[in-house]
Amino acid sequence: MKRGWMAPLALSLLLTGCSGLPAAREMGDMALLRTMGIDAAANGVAVTGSTGPRAKGLQAEDEPALILSADRESLSGACLAMQGQSDSYVFFGYVDQLLLGQELAERGVQPVLDYFSRDAELGLGAQLWLVRGAAAREAVSSGGDKGVDSRLETLQTDSDMGIASITRTAGEVYTDLLELGSAFVPALSPAGDETAVLTERGYGVLNGDRLVGFLDGEAAKGLELLAGGPSADVLEAELAQNRVSVKVVSASTKSELEVQGGVLSGLKLTCRVEARLSEYQRHPDEAAVQALKTGLEQRERLRLEAALERLQELGTDCTGLGARAGIARPALWQRVQRDWADRFAELPVELQVQVTVHK
Amino acid sequence: MSRQREANAPHPRQEPRIPGPLSLARLEEVFSDCADFSKREVYLHGDSGRKAVVCYIDGQARSERLNDYVLRPLAQDPALATVPESQLFDLLEKGALYAHGAKRETEADPVVFALINGSCALFLEGRDDCLVFPVATEEKRSVGEPENEPALKGARDSFVESLRTNTSLIRRRLRAPELKIREHIVGRQSLTPVDVLWIDGIADPDTVALLEERLDAIDIDGVEAAGNLEEYLVDSERSPFPLMPYTQRPDRFCQGLLEGRVGLFADGIPLGWVLPGTIDQFFKTGQDRAYHWLAASALSVVRWLCALITLLVPGLYIALVTFHPEAIPPKLALSIVAAKQEVPFSTIFEVLIMLLAFEVVQEAGLRLPTPIGSTVSILGGLVVGNAAVDAHIVSPAVLIAVAIAGIAGYTMPSQDFGSALRLWRFLLAILASLGGLTGLALGCAALIYHLAGLESFGVPYLAPFTTGTRVPRGHPSLFRLPLPRMKWRDGAVKTQNRRNQR
Repeated sequence: MKRGWMAPLALSLLLTGCSGLPAAREMGDMALLRTMGIDAAANGVAVTGSTGPRAKGLQAEDEPALILSADRESLSGACLAMQGQSDSYVFFGYVDQLLLGQELAERGVQPVLDYFSRDAELGLGAQLWLVRGAAAREAVSSGGDKGVDSRLETLQTDSDMGIASITRTAGEVYTDLLELGSAFVPALSPAGDETAVLTERGYGVLNGDRLVGFLDGEAAKGLELLAGGPSADVLEAELAQNRVSVKVVSASTKSELEVQGGVLSGLKLTCRVEARLSEYQRHPDEAAVQALKTGLEQRERLRLEAALERLQELGTDCTGLGARAGIARPALWQRVQRDWADRFAELPVELQVQVTVHK
Repeated sequence: MSRQREANAPHPRQEPRIPGPLSLARLEEVFSDCADFSKREVYLHGDSGRKAVVCYIDGQARSERLNDYVLRPLAQDPALATVPESQLFDLLEKGALYAHGAKRETEADPVVFALINGSCALFLEGRDDCLVFPVATEEKRSVGEPENEPALKGARDSFVESLRTNTSLIRRRLRAPELKIREHIVGRQSLTPVDVLWIDGIADPDTVALLEERLDAIDIDGVEAAGNLEEYLVDSERSPFPLMPYTQRPDRFCQGLLEGRVGLFADGIPLGWVLPGTIDQFFKTGQDRAYHWLAASALSVVRWLCALITLLVPGLYIALVTFHPEAIPPKLALSIVAAKQEVPFSTIFEVLIMLLAFEVVQEAGLRLPTPIGSTVSILGGLVVGNAAVDAHIVSPAVLIAVAIAGIAGYTMPSQDFGSALRLWRFLLAILASLGGLTGLALGCAALIYHLAGLESFGVPYLAPFTTGTRVPRGHPSLFRLPLPRMKWRDGAVKTQNRRNQR
C-alpha cells in the first residue's frame, strides 16, 4: 500500500516545477532560425539570423525568409533582442550554419564558440564559415527572400561528396583550437557569381583564436591534401595523339618527425594520392600512365609546397601534422609540443608524393 | 442491518446440492416448474402389470436415442414381461437396453445432474432407485476455421464450444497416453465442466496442482465468459496485461503442452488457455513454426518493434514536438511547423483526441455487422481523417503518428496484449505531455517495473529476459532458430524434461 502511494507522490513532486522538467512550446508558433551571422560591432557584436523560406500551411506557397538582426554588447543580449523582433518564438536549435565576419574573426572567435557550446539550443554542431572581405550580416542577407541556408547546405553536401572544399563544424574548429592551438575554417565571399550568392574563397587560418591569414588557390588545394580531404580535381594531359583526364579521388598525408642526434631535425611528409582515369581517347599504355603520374606528382607537390610555405609563414600547424607525427614518437613530441608552432615555422620539410593511377 | 449483512455475507456451497434419497416423487419435486422436464410411462412388453417410468429433460436428451435404445426395447422385448420381478432390474442394467452405459443410482443428487447433462432415468414401479442411461444430444457447432488466428500454411481446425470435441482435437494430435485430462466443475449455477490438460513427465506437477487448486477455489455463479476464469486464476487481476495466453488453434495448444505448459478448457468457450503465460507467448503466432526460420524470425522482430511503435510513437511525438523540437530533423521540423500553423489546438490535445477518435472508430467498427463495420472504419479513417486535415483541425503529422501507432498495434497476435498496450499508450502520451521525454522515460520505467512484478503461476512474466543464470534458458524469444537446433524446453516453465528432441 505504501508503495502504491510512492509513485503519485514522486510524480507530484516532479510536477511542482522544481523538477527541471522542460517547458512545453508549440512548434506552430516557432520561427526556426537556420543561419546565423555574427560580426564585430562598435560596442559588442552584431547578430543576424535567417529562417530560410517558410511555408504557412502545407499547400501554401513559400513565405520569404525571416531575417532578424540585433546589435548588442553581448551575444546573449543580441539573441534576446531578436526574440522581441518576431511575432513567433525564435528557436535557435536549428541553426546549422554559422557565419563569422572577418573583423570578428580577427578579434577572436573564442567568445562565440564558448557561447555556442554553453547554449542549450545552439550547440557546436553548426557548420562554421568565415566571411572574407565582408560582414556576415551582408552574407546572410545576400540570399534575399530565399535565404542562404540552402546554398550553404549544398556546399556542405558537395564537400561530403568530395566536390567542394572541406567544411568544418564549430565543434571541430573549437576542438582544434583547444588541442592544436590553431585551426582552419572554410571561407566564403558574398560577392557571388552568376550562379550562386556565396562562393568559396579558400581557407582562413586561426591561430590562438584569431584569424591570421587565408590560403587561396594552389595553397588551399595543398591544405586539403595535408588535411586528407582533397576536393574534386582533374588533371588533363595531352599525350601523344591521346587526350587523357585523371581525377583525384582521395589523398592522405602521413607525417614523421625526423631526429638527428636526439634533436628534432625535420618533418617528413608522405602524401599518397589516389587517382583514376576518367577520360581518354585510347586506353593509355604503361608509359603514358607513368607520364600522367609524374605530372600529377609534380602538381600536387607544388600545391603542398605552397600550403606548407604559407602555413610556416603564418606560424601555424593547423592541420595537426606535428600532433599526428608525435603519436609515433611520444617522448620527443612531449619535449617539442610546447613550442611546436615556432619550431614548425622554421623546420625543414621533406616532401614525398606517391601517386597511384587506377585504370 | 444485520439481516442485510447476513444476506450479503459469503455463503458456502451446499454439498450435495440435492440432499436425500432418490424417488420419482423427489425428482418431480426438484424439477417442478421446469417445462422441459418430461416423463413417460411404459408397459414392459405391453404388460400393464409391469410399469416403468422414463424421465428426461427435453432438448438435453436426443429423441432418436431415447426412442430406439430405451423405449423401443422396453415396449417390445418379451423377456421383460417374462423375467421374474426380482431379476428385472438386473436385466435392464446388464443388457436389455442398448445404451453404452447404465448406472444404478440411489441418491437424488447424481440423477438430477445426469438428467441435466442429457441422460434419462428409468424407474420401475415400486422401487426408488433408478437406472441412468446416457442418451445426450450432441448438437454443436462443427469444427471450423480459426477466425482470429488464420492459417496460411497449417491446420485449419479450431476449437468449438463443446469441451469434449476440444479435448478430442488435442487427443488426435497428441496420441501419447501421457496426455492427462482432469475435469473440474466451476460455477454454482452453470456447473461448467473445466478440463485441465498436461503431458505427464513434461509439465510441472506443481503448476498443475496450483491450477487445480485455484479452479477449485472459484466459487461463482457461472462461467459465461473467458474472464470468468482468467480473472480468478491469474496472480494479478489489476494488470491490463494478459497473464493467460489463449488460442483457438489446436496445433498451437498442442505446441504449448509440448513445451511443458498446462492447458485449460472450459465448456462453452471455444478457446484453450496455455499456462503459465510469459510475455513472449503473446508475440508468437501459429505460423512461426510453419514458415522458414529466417522469415519467422524477421516477422517476430517486426512484431516486437511494432509493440514499441504502438506504445511509444504518440508519446514520442508529443515529447519531441512540444518539448524537444531540437531533436527533430530540420526538414521534418519545417514541415511540422508549416502544417501546424493553421491548426488551432495544441499538439497534446490533438494527439489525445486523435487517439480517442481512433478507439471510437475501432469500437464502432467492431460492434457493427461486418459489412457496415468496414464501411464505418473506412469512413472514419479516410473521410473524417482527410476532412479533419483539410479543415486544419488536426495536422497531418499527428494523423500519421496516431495511424502508425494504431496499425502497429494490429500486428499483435494477442488482442488482449494489444489492448493492454493501447491503455499504456494513453498513459505514456499523458506523461509525455506533462514532462516531455523525462515523463516518457519515467512512464517506460514504470511499465518495466510493472511488468517485472507480474507472475503467472509462479513464473515471472518477463521470464524470457529476466530469469538470470540459475534458470536454464530455452531459446531466444525475439527470433526463432532452425527447429533442429531448438532442442530445449524453456527452463522457466519448470518442465520436468528439458530436451525435446534427440
